[in-house]
Amino acid sequence: MTFFTEYLADPRTRDALFEQTLEHIYLTAVPVGMAVVIGLFLGILAHRSPQLRSPILSVVSTFLTIPSLALFAILIPIVGIGATPAIIALTLYALLPIVRNTVSGLFSVDRAVVESAKGMGMSATMRLWKIELPNAWPVMLAGVRVATLLTIGIAAIAALVGGPGLGQEIFTGIRRIPATGSLESLLGGTLFIVILAVLFDLFYLAIGRLTIPRGIRE
Amino acid sequence: MSDQTNGDPLARLGTDAETGETMIELQELTKRFPGQETPAVDRLSLSIPKGEIVVFVGPSGCGKTTSLKMINRIIEPSSGHIIIDGEDVTDIDPNHLRRRIGYVIQQIGLFPHIRIAENVATVPHLLGWDKDRTRERVDELLDVVGLPPEQYRERFPKELSGGQRQRVGGARALAADPPVLLMDEPFGAIAPITRTRLQNEFLRLQTELQKTICFVTHDIDEAIKMGDRIAILQEGSRVAQFATPEEILTHPANDFVEDFVGTGATLKRLKLTRVKEVEPTEALTGRVDEDRETLRQRFDASDWTAMLLLDRENKPLRWLRGPDLRQQDRPLEKAGVRTRALVEPQATLSDALEEMLLGAAGVAIVVDRRGAYRGLLDIDAIITSIQTMKDAQAEYYRAAKLADPEDEVPA
Ligand SMILES: Nc1ncnc2c1ncn2[C@@H]1O[C@H](COP(=O)(O)OP(=O)(O)O)[C@@H](O)[C@H]1O
Ligand SMILES: [Mg+2]
Repeated sequence: MTFFTEYLADPRTRDALFEQTLEHIYLTAVPVGMAVVIGLFLGILAHRSPQLRSPILSVVSTFLTIPSLALFAILIPIVGIGATPAIIALTLYALLPIVRNTVSGLFSVDRAVVESAKGMGMSATMRLWKIELPNAWPVMLAGVRVATLLTIGIAAIAALVGGPGLGQEIFTGIRRIPATGSLESLLGGTLFIVILAVLFDLFYLAIGRLTIPRGIRE
Repeated sequence: MSDQTNGDPLARLGTDAETGETMIELQELTKRFPGQETPAVDRLSLSIPKGEIVVFVGPSGCGKTTSLKMINRIIEPSSGHIIIDGEDVTDIDPNHLRRRIGYVIQQIGLFPHIRIAENVATVPHLLGWDKDRTRERVDELLDVVGLPPEQYRERFPKELSGGQRQRVGGARALAADPPVLLMDEPFGAIAPITRTRLQNEFLRLQTELQKTICFVTHDIDEAIKMGDRIAILQEGSRVAQFATPEEILTHPANDFVEDFVGTGATLKRLKLTRVKEVEPTEALTGRVDEDRETLRQRFDASDWTAMLLLDRENKPLRWLRGPDLRQQDRPLEKAGVRTRALVEPQATLSDALEEMLLGAAGVAIVVDRRGAYRGLLDIDAIITSIQTMKDAQAEYYRAAKLADPEDEVPA
């Protein structure tokens, strides 16, 4: 195996992988960020309105059942190739865990807590921001974390539609099988994705530490 | 005035009749939940006097909670009016209304993500109090509910016991000093021993605070203990009887009330009267510093079968019988039997009766706070007092009937 001695030892490979990793982070962070904003809104709406709840949840679930390659391909005629179709598609995939956990997080808040907030004279908006969301936050954050890991994985496929990221290295390898060095590319791209996932996980651990109030920590 | 009015039920009625100020007035209050045939609350009309605890009591599902939650409009009434302190609040901004009304529920509902001090400060924050005033008030209230602020201020709700949480719930409700408190089974989820203590502390506090309180419970014993007045509710929150605990026990308005109060009514009545309200009888007493021969002569000259021996501070020591006085071999302090069943004036007749039965003497010795002898209370005195109480009530309500023909007088 020449993986460590030749492949990773080559500074050009390392530079390429490093650049692709940064692209991959971008390809993960932007869709997750957008999904958080949209998902928070949809989640709150679904929690508030029993009529909208099941339509919203069905639609965001449906996104995740569309094969990723197909969704990327469908978007190309509309937005062209490159990062844009990938970012849109990944945003749609990331919605489900975020919406779902926002709804279940809000439902997990003790009704007596919300009722006493109401009884003290807090308006609906204040109740949402000061009581409901802070208490739903641990569950919501878990949803964002799942959405992020999901996105990191699916983002690799974006390379097939001309997207950036570590998928490029993986598909370079796949295309060149069985040529020498093809396996190394495949492994290199995969290894960096795994490392990225672990780093993101640590990041969320830290976020949880910093943002979950001590009173509701496990 | 608080002490007097709380002690004697009739005096309390008299005071109300004089001032007669109504704090909360419910007019034909009705709640019809969507998709239900019969209203959960059906035209409830009730006047709640200022500074009193009015208990809503009734079987489960009769509409107590719904009635209570309409007062701060957690549940919006389908029809009817709520007047608080002369102001019709049925249509005003509910959030402003609620900041003027303390609200305590069985599940407490402390905010788990913020500290105790911030929980208590909720309404002061909403009212825009400044930091110093809020902090001062929070500490004061934690003190009032028996949680030393320096120890509890910075804790989170999960770090407290159930009883402590309910104390915080009470402090939070009282934070902005609202004139009205609504309490829905506030002690319902608390272990019995703690519950009794919280009830007593709450009553003591109320003699100072003089809030107007609506208190919901399904427990008639709690209602009798806590209520200045009790509204016994039937299905649909129909008022079966609205009266003082004394009157409900002595003159239940109808079969429903009688059934609901249950068979223990006479025993419950004993909880309403304190030992100090009953005239004690005199015992034959002697003191340890008196001569044994003097005591014997006094004993022989009386009809008593026993003499109560007191120490130099007039504290009861022993019960002595004839032979104890005649035998010279034992010092008086060791003769006869030890006195038991000592009760203080503020104990209830129920406590006294229990002591008598435990002491097997058929009498309780009334002692003052320092333990000095005041008199005797026997079972006959208790029975007589029940009878007197009944007669006094009857007199009072006959008078009320003459004064106000509208008054509902139970048969
Ligand atoms: N939100 C609601 N929707 C429909 N029905 C309700 C609601 N709340 C209470 N009820 C009904 O109203 C009646 C009175 O309930 P409640 O006031 O909670 O009774 P209580 O507190 O005396 O036990 C019950 O029959 C209950 O089922
Ligand atoms: Mg109830």
